[in-house]
Amino acid sequence: MAAVCTASRVLAKKVLSAKALPAVSQSSRKLHFSVYGKNNSKVSDGMSTQYPVVDHEFDAVVVGAGGAGLRAAFGLSEAGFNTACVTKLFPTRSHTVAAQGGINAALGNMEGDDWRWHFYDTVKGSDWLGDQDAIHYMTEQAPHAVVELENFGMPFSRTEDGKIYQRAFGGQSLKFGKGGQAHRCCCVADRTGHSLLHTLYGRSLRYDTSYFVEYFALDLLMEDGECKGVIALCMEDGSIHRFRSKNTVIATGGYGRTYFSCTSAHTSTGDGNAMVTRAGLPCQDLEFVQFHPTGIYGAGCLITEGCRGEGGILINSEGERFMERYAPNAKDLASRDVVSRSITIEIREGRGCGPEKDHAYLQLHHLPPQQLATRLPGISETAMIFAGVDVTKEPIPVLPTVHYNMGGIPTNYRGQVITHTTEEGDKVVPGLFACGEAACASVHGANRLGANSLLDLVVFGRACAHTIADICTPGEKLSPLKPNAGEESVANLDKLRFADGNMRTSEIRVNMQKTMQNHAAVFRTGKVLKEGCDKMDAIYQTLDDIKTFDRGIVWNTDLVETLELQNLMLNAVQTINSAEQRQESRGAHSREDFKDRMDELDYAKPLAGQVRKPIEEHWRKHTLSTVDPKTGKVTLKYRPVIDNSLDAEDCAAIPPAIRSY
Amino acid sequence: MLSAFVAKRLVSGVCQASWRPAVAELVTTRGYKGEAPDDSRGDLIEIPLPPWTEKDGETMDIKRRRLLFQSRKRGMLENCILLSLFAKQYLNTMTEHQLRQYDRLINEPSNDWDIYYWATEAQPVPDVYTGEIMDLLKEFTKNKDQEQRLDAPNLEYLDKGSQ
Repeated sequence: MAAVCTASRVLAKKVLSAKALPAVSQSSRKLHFSVYGKNNSKVSDGMSTQYPVVDHEFDAVVVGAGGAGLRAAFGLSEAGFNTACVTKLFPTRSHTVAAQGGINAALGNMEGDDWRWHFYDTVKGSDWLGDQDAIHYMTEQAPHAVVELENFGMPFSRTEDGKIYQRAFGGQSLKFGKGGQAHRCCCVADRTGHSLLHTLYGRSLRYDTSYFVEYFALDLLMEDGECKGVIALCMEDGSIHRFRSKNTVIATGGYGRTYFSCTSAHTSTGDGNAMVTRAGLPCQDLEFVQFHPTGIYGAGCLITEGCRGEGGILINSEGERFMERYAPNAKDLASRDVVSRSITIEIREGRGCGPEKDHAYLQLHHLPPQQLATRLPGISETAMIFAGVDVTKEPIPVLPTVHYNMGGIPTNYRGQVITHTTEEGDKVVPGLFACGEAACASVHGANRLGANSLLDLVVFGRACAHTIADICTPGEKLSPLKPNAGEESVANLDKLRFADGNMRTSEIRVNMQKTMQNHAAVFRTGKVLKEGCDKMDAIYQTLDDIKTFDRGIVWNTDLVETLELQNLMLNAVQTINSAEQRQESRGAHSREDFKDRMDELDYAKPLAGQVRKPIEEHWRKHTLSTVDPKTGKVTLKYRPVIDNSLDAEDCAAIPPAIRSY
Repeated sequence: MLSAFVAKRLVSGVCQASWRPAVAELVTTRGYKGEAPDDSRGDLIEIPLPPWTEKDGETMDIKRRRLLFQSRKRGMLENCILLSLFAKQYLNTMTEHQLRQYDRLINEPSNDWDIYYWATEAQPVPDVYTGEIMDLLKEFTKNKDQEQRLDAPNLEYLDKGSQ
């Protein structure tokens, strides 16, 4: 309580207007902004509890500087909006840089192509949980988006006749699934993600975008259901900054770090989802988490499927090649979700490897050393560096690994964040937008296709910029904001900074990660999920007993990781509770006790004579989850899937069918 | 049915290959590059980013704190683990000169994969980054003690009241 009073007094007295200080944001091309707080900083390296607050006003604020955030920031700056981009990482170090695949677009350079076929593939890939208007928008815009990027300077790889080279990727077909493999994925050698970031960041600087790098966004500033900006912590000097704006775009990425094993960087902590949750708004479809069968146990680094293609086999604690039982023909080369499920079942039935019997082994040492050296050299290195394993002698510990979050902040196809009530349907939240992995438009539905993610970033980042340009003009006056807006966030920060309970951040984090891994992983059962929900609830309560050790305010990594843990926890409780409630198997959400999809009609049988089930009785609907941050209690609601495309004549919607490849 | 299966397998292979840090020039040693074509690096040439500059006026202590954060929070998992373990081992005992080398190494390159390729010796290190720190990092990466690097370490190793 005292902390809140202190914080509010501090906020009331020490609010400084950006206008009173040198206009660094306008003219400077510096990467790291001079922090206003430095000039009149009351923050010493000691135990100061004073938090100087600096106010900024912008036409638009983008949180996150990955592919989606940069595209939005660039688009807004180009349209003349005074834009701020607040990011906890230097732009080219966002997780987008890890993407080495490419961007899908129906350019038709390798063979005749049509975006409507891409549309079909994506709708089917989503297992009919994707909103077809958003998918229509994305696939139709894809060629324009890629050409635009090319014009911005992204050096896409070329064919011999100078056209953009396109390669094959999973799930992409021609002629609505009947024409064989499509080649739609455009790439920049093997650094598409990096090139995207570099190009967009470089271009946005020419339009005077103001970057606030290594600023950790704490919360949204909401007033009367409208978003009026963001409050953030400057890590460089511990000052608090309120970015006031009529338009806030959230592009903070996914939350793979809720699981023990994920392929994501340690920065994927679902900060945007948590900010939205704390603002009382719902998140959508968080139970849909994509797994890849072989990530290195613990580290999570991806082990290519090519290993198994070269003859590598998966074995359990009894040394058995267990895939022979689950997929007698394909064995270790069965489809990803089958392999993931098989590994999980082996572990569940007690045949897991290692001291905790919690992973499987990928054995390569039966292969000739020459073959290993020439055809899988990267694997040998990764195994040695991260698992301390010499692949010529020992097997690599592997586990199905979290790879992507299909769910996120619900938006319409224009990038505007929405809420939903049964009476009024979808309603836009004024002033708030979202794009990228953090958003759920929903284009990926229950399962994402490869190379559709980078496309998602670019198309919806652009969509947010266009929508804002449509509804606002640069230089509009901002509505007033309460003087103590953001007070709670500062109080929370202060509380965590001096937290002196009994459980360390790392302990709580690992408890959460192990619970998610054991109870809400690849293959889910009602009983196990319920146990998981109860455990997760108990772990959530332990946040009150947290202990941090770094009391400083400058570059306090312990504090930032604790804030990230709070964010992860909100994502985790929603994910596991949503999964427990959803009693069907769809896309990436796979339930042992409810093996089939439950749609409004049974699409496995002829439709004539069937009665359409009402929405309460089937599962082809989006989950909307909210959390009471104080108690950790999750409330679930549902929202219908949008089944119509943007233009029925131009692109017919695809009615649901059984998904088989 | 069979061709779809084969196609899927091939495609997954490519998909996975493109996930791995394969290198354009050394296609022969990094077989799983798939058919990813050459890189013209046009964006890097034509869209130069503002040059990295050293931060002045920072005490060594603050520099260490900043570099700790910047070691732990990277663009991809491999670097997160590698650099945070490296920081745990060496950051607190680096001299001022070494700190500045390390600062430049982890903050100037724009593509995080490059740092990984240099550390794993998949690509030659540019002259500006050669030095004590790069040597330490390469040695560290080799993992001669074959320890299990399951994850980035927790921060508690710093909790000795030494801040």
